Amino acid sequence: MDLIVTATAQGLLWGMMALGIFITYRILDLPDMTAEGSFPLGAAVCAQLIISGVHPLAATAIAFLTGTLAGAVTGFLITKAHIPGLLAGILTMTGLYSINLRIMGRANLSLLGTEKLTDFFTRFNLPGQFDTIFMGIILVVIMITLLVLFFKTELGQAVIATGDNEKMARSLGISTNQTKMLGLMLSNGLISAAGALIAQDNGYADISMGIGTIVIGLASVIIGEVIFGNLSFVNRLICVILGAIIYRFIIMFVLLIGLQPNDLKIISAVILALCLALPSIRNRFNLNFFQKKELL
Amino acid sequence: MKKMIGFIIGLTALLTIAFFTSSNELETTEMDKPIVGILQLTSHPALDLIYQGTVDALNDAGYIDGETMTLDFQNAQGDQSNLNSMSTRFVSRGAAVMVGIATPSAQALANSSQEIPIVLGAVTDPEGSGLVANNDAPGGNITGVSDLTPIEEQFSLITEILPEAQTIGILYSSSEDNSIVQADQAIEIAKEMGLKTEVMTVSSTNDVSQVGATLASQVDAIWVPTDNTIASAMNTLVSASDQNGIPIFPAVDTMVEEGGLATVGLDQYALGRLTGEMVAAILDGDSDPATTPIRYLDQGEIIINEEKASELGITIPTQLLEQAK
Repeated sequence: MDLIVTATAQGLLWGMMALGIFITYRILDLPDMTAEGSFPLGAAVCAQLIISGVHPLAATAIAFLTGTLAGAVTGFLITKAHIPGLLAGILTMTGLYSINLRIMGRANLSLLGTEKLTDFFTRFNLPGQFDTIFMGIILVVIMITLLVLFFKTELGQAVIATGDNEKMARSLGISTNQTKMLGLMLSNGLISAAGALIAQDNGYADISMGIGTIVIGLASVIIGEVIFGNLSFVNRLICVILGAIIYRFIIMFVLLIGLQPNDLKIISAVILALCLALPSIRNRFNLNFFQKKELL
Repeated sequence: MKKMIGFIIGLTALLTIAFFTSSNELETTEMDKPIVGILQLTSHPALDLIYQGTVDALNDAGYIDGETMTLDFQNAQGDQSNLNSMSTRFVSRGAAVMVGIATPSAQALANSSQEIPIVLGAVTDPEGSGLVANNDAPGGNITGVSDLTPIEEQFSLITEILPEAQTIGILYSSSEDNSIVQADQAIEIAKEMGLKTEVMTVSSTNDVSQVGATLASQVDAIWVPTDNTIASAMNTLVSASDQNGIPIFPAVDTMVEEGGLATVGLDQYALGRLTGEMVAAILDGDSDPATTPIRYLDQGEIIINEEKASELGITIPTQLLEQAK
C-alpha cells in the first residue's frame, strides 16, 4: 500500500516534467534534448536559493523562469542560427552542465533540514508521502488549467498550428519562429520547475540528476497515450500525468518482484519500445481486439 | 475517456484507503528476521568491494542472508531517479538498518526516513554533505564510515618515489562532490610541500582520454582522488598517461591494480568490513547512530604496482618496497 502511495507521489512530480516533454514532443513535434539540462538547472537554482534563505515557493517559481531562459537559448539556436532541433537541444544541454555546476558551486547540494514546499502540508500531520501527493495534485491542477487556458488563446492555437503543419501555419501569417520559441520556453520552464520539486522531494540537487530524464518524460507521454487512447486536449494533458504515475508503478513492480536492479534500464527501454510500437502493431495485424476496445 | 476516469477513480480509492489505514508511525516488520537494505549508487570495483566487505562482516557477526537476516540489495546503476523508489522500498518493507554506498544513495535514504538507522558505507564528508550534524556526534539516525583518504601520506609517497617531481596534476570529475572536497585539500597539501599543481576536471568518462592526455603532457605525475567517474575509466586514463610516460598516483587501491603506480590507500574491502561491523552492532542493539561517531580507517597501506614501475622505468626505493603490501 505504501508503495502505491510513493509511486503516485513520485508520478505526480515527474508528471510535471512529462507535461514539458509533451509540449515539445507532441504539440511542437520537436524532440527537445534541452530537458536533460533544464531539469537539473531547476534543481540547482532552487536548491541554491533555498539554502540562501529564499522561500521554497519563490525558489520554485524562479526555477521555472530560469528554465524558460534555457528554452529560449535552444529556441534561438533553432530559429535564428538554423541549427537542427535535436542538435540545438543537445548543445544547450551540454552547456547547461557547466552552468549548473557554477550555480551550485559543487556537484551535490544537500537540502536536508531546510524548508521545502511540502512543509506547508506537513503541518496537517498527514500520513507519509501524502504531503507530496496533495502538493502534487494542487500543482498539477493549476498547471493543466493554465496550459489549457493558454492553448485556447490565439497565441496558443498558433503554437499548436506550428507543430501540426509549419508551412500552413506560416501561410496563415503565424510567425512560426516566435511560436517555436514560446513553446520551448514553456516546456523547459515546466521541466525546470519539476526539477526544483524533485530536488526538494529527494532532499538534494545533484549535477547528474538530469541523466535519463528525457526517457522518463517520453515514456510517461507515450504510456498515457497508449493506455488511454486518443482524447480531447484537456484529457491528453491529464493522461500525461497518469502516464507518469503508471511509469512509476511499473518501476515499483519491477523492483518488487525482485528483478535485478541492474536490468532496470533494459526493462525501461523495452517497455518504452513496446508502447511506441503498439500502434503500428495494431495497424499491421489489424487486431480487432484492440480496435473494439478503443471504440468503448 | 471511460478508461481514464476509471483509472482515476481506482487510484483515488486506493489512495483513500491508504490515507486512512497508514499511520505516521513506522510499520513494524512482521518478519522475525531483520531486513538489511543496502543501496548502492553504481557498479565499479571500489564500490563493489565495499558492498562485499559489508556483507562478509555481517556474515562473520552471525547475520547470514536467508538465515538470520534478509538482505535487500539495490543498485541504482547511476540513475538517480531510482534512488528514491529504492529507498522507499526499504522503508515500506520495514528495514531494520539501511546502508547507503556513495553520497547520493545515502542522501536518498536519509530523506526517506528519520527513524530507521542508516549506516553510511564510505561517504567522504558526512558533515559537509549535510547527512550528520557532526562527524563525532551525528545526533540523528545516521552514522557510518568515511572514506577520506590519507592525502598527505599520498603526496609524501609521490615525493619519495619521484624526488625530482615539481608539478603534480590533479584530475577529478566535476560531477562528484566528494572529489572536490579531496582536490581542495590536495591543493593545500601540495602547496605546503612546495609542489606546483595543475588541476583539470572531467564531466564524464568520455572526457577522460583527452583531458588525461592533456594533463599528462604538462605534469610530472598525476594524482587522482576517490572518484567514481575516474575509477570507472581508470584504464582509459592509464593509457592516456602512459603515452607521456607519466605515472598515476590514485587514492584508491583498486585503481593501482588497474594501472596506477602506487598509493597509500584505503583498502575498500576493509572500509566495507567496517561498515558491516557498524551495521551488526546496531542490529545487536549495542550501538545507537545518534551517539556513534563516524569511523575512519586508522592506517592506509602502501600499495605499489611494480610491473607499472618497470614499464615506466621508475625505480622504487627499496625501503618502500619492503613496507608495501
